Amino acid sequence: MSSETRDQALEKDSKKKLLAAEEAAEKNRADRDSSRDTEDEEDEEDEEESNGSSKSTSADSVTTPAGEKAILNRPSSARMIWTLTKREISAYMSSAITYIVIAVTMVVFGLYFFFYKGGFWQVDRATMARMFDTIPPALCLLIALFTMRSLSDEKRVGTIELLITMPVKDSEVILGKFFGSLAVVTLAVFLLAAYPLVMFTRAPFWHLGELDWSPFWVGILGLFLLSAAGTAIGVMWSSFTESQILSFFATALTLIALYAVGSVTIVEFLQGWPGDAISFISLQSRFEPFSRGLLDSRAIIYFLSLTTLGLVVAFRSLESRKWS
Amino acid sequence: MSTDVMIYANGLTKRYGSFRALDDVSFEVRRGEVVGFLGPNGAGKSTTMRILTCFIAPTSGTAKVRGQDVFDDTLAVRSSLGYLPQRAPLYLEMTVYEYLRFAAQVRNIDSSTFKKRARNVVEVCGLAQSLSKEIRQLSHGYRQRVGLAQALIHDPPILILDEPTSDLDPNEKAEFLNYLKQIGKDRTVLLSTHNLKEVESACARAIIVSRGRVVADGALDEIRAKSGRVRYIVSVQESVGTSPYRGSGPLPKQSEVEAALGRLPGVKKVAELPTDERAHAYAIDGDDGQDIRADIFRLVADKGWVMLELHRDTQTLEDVFRQLTIGDERRNRQLGPVTESQSASDDEDEDEDEDESDDDDSDEEPAAAKRGKR
Repeated sequence: MSSETRDQALEKDSKKKLLAAEEAAEKNRADRDSSRDTEDEEDEEDEEESNGSSKSTSADSVTTPAGEKAILNRPSSARMIWTLTKREISAYMSSAITYIVIAVTMVVFGLYFFFYKGGFWQVDRATMARMFDTIPPALCLLIALFTMRSLSDEKRVGTIELLITMPVKDSEVILGKFFGSLAVVTLAVFLLAAYPLVMFTRAPFWHLGELDWSPFWVGILGLFLLSAAGTAIGVMWSSFTESQILSFFATALTLIALYAVGSVTIVEFLQGWPGDAISFISLQSRFEPFSRGLLDSRAIIYFLSLTTLGLVVAFRSLESRKWS
Repeated sequence: MSTDVMIYANGLTKRYGSFRALDDVSFEVRRGEVVGFLGPNGAGKSTTMRILTCFIAPTSGTAKVRGQDVFDDTLAVRSSLGYLPQRAPLYLEMTVYEYLRFAAQVRNIDSSTFKKRARNVVEVCGLAQSLSKEIRQLSHGYRQRVGLAQALIHDPPILILDEPTSDLDPNEKAEFLNYLKQIGKDRTVLLSTHNLKEVESACARAIIVSRGRVVADGALDEIRAKSGRVRYIVSVQESVGTSPYRGSGPLPKQSEVEAALGRLPGVKKVAELPTDERAHAYAIDGDDGQDIRADIFRLVADKGWVMLELHRDTQTLEDVFRQLTIGDERRNRQLGPVTESQSASDDEDEDEDEDESDDDDSDEEPAAAKRGKR
């Protein structure tokens, strides 16, 4: 059967499975870093199954009443998302603000980390653990800054209309936006590796001793997961409003609130199960194991669910334009 | 449904809260037709187009493009459409070339085909000089060209253009309309505009919407004929001026000519047109059935006046458009509280609207048109 028909079939079935597909695609990406689990296989099976079942139904809709073949000329979902992501990244990269924000962030993060609570020398050990205590709240602001324009701007300028009237699925738009913003945030996060590189490698810089790199990379992975969840929430807020400012503050407040409720003061104040519950949903307490170099599977799942939740809500919100 | 129907809309209704943006809009567009979609601002043109391009869903009713439902086969519909939204919203930070390449990638056009198409499209839209410019640097006219290029890049069988000429200068407009005629030969085009001249030069058929309803749909001649009126323009020499020639009789007075013309058989109304001091000019409304040009000439010749101009003007599209959509404007200018018993007055107005569109021959119509012109 021609690829056109196959695409058609895919498209048909995907309407019912948009959510599933979105989750799957999201997981596929996120899981690249951690281990692959059986979920993926199930998803693939699902897809194959529905391909077979919908082939018969889509066969008649392939020909129009005029008897000619319908055009369904669109790339595969993965390529579509990649195209959108690329466009998104190049939009960030074409703006000087992006570079300035990243550079300023590096300086501020550096100073903050180095002088926080009496300064780096107080610890007297070759460790970057302190960095991961200080950076997440600032990262929340950075994420809000990078996601605020994502859908808001498209809505305000009206480009969303042109984009959506191309043969693009709504879920692909959301995922493209998400991966685009995430890529830029991740770039900022990975640049943090510059600090230990400067501090712990040999000449021409300082050499403050041998650094155990594993906990550092686990911490970076934690920051990446945190960024993914934060970016999803940012995309979600930006899908609600045409105003970038509103989107920025909503995202920043949500993330900082999610982070702050896990602080020891609040958790101890609430005591008992409310405290536990609140610390369970807090970014801070979920991120904490990563900052100590521990891979916590519950935390990974927490971040991934938060990401999925944000994206699904964003998807629904984008879809709701049809009925407003 | 005929096999040639490319765009099919049946009973499209779109409500925003209690406001009906579209009310039972039905029409068909066949293969190879270039159809003008006319209406005053806020009449529902863009809403209809957005439904056809799957951007929004109708509250009720169905729409099909190439036999595929806009709701169930949305991707198939969207890939066979080229759409230019109003005011051509584009990504400002991209260059023209990048934008076209992006559009091509989304449409799954490989790079060699893209290069071929891009050359063609760039030539057609006159973008060769601006390919490497950022879209934000372009004027609105050029942005509109980019929007058009984007809609054509995948060589779609159906084009939906929402006010494609609104930001173009007269030269560009003429060029665009020429081009539209060319591509209209093997494509289906639905084109919205307020500019009736464009419709007359590019389209064979028009659909006129007013307040969310289709008030006229048909070939331009049919629509023009709707009012059943013919207009004659006559001008008669008033003073000799530098011209060496004068008539045999005395120079006529304004009222004299007007009265004489009014007495001719088949004349409904004589209105003076503004002119300089050398001529009297009149617009005469006559019946559709008979031609009174000969009578007018005889009258002027008998009186010994000098006729400077005489021509017969069938109803312009503009007049019909005005008549059909006049209710909109009248309503917009209504004074007083609008909130109270809004729904009641709504119904009333709608009835009136129906009258207007249905019995165009009634005497009330010309009067309404005149009122609007004033």
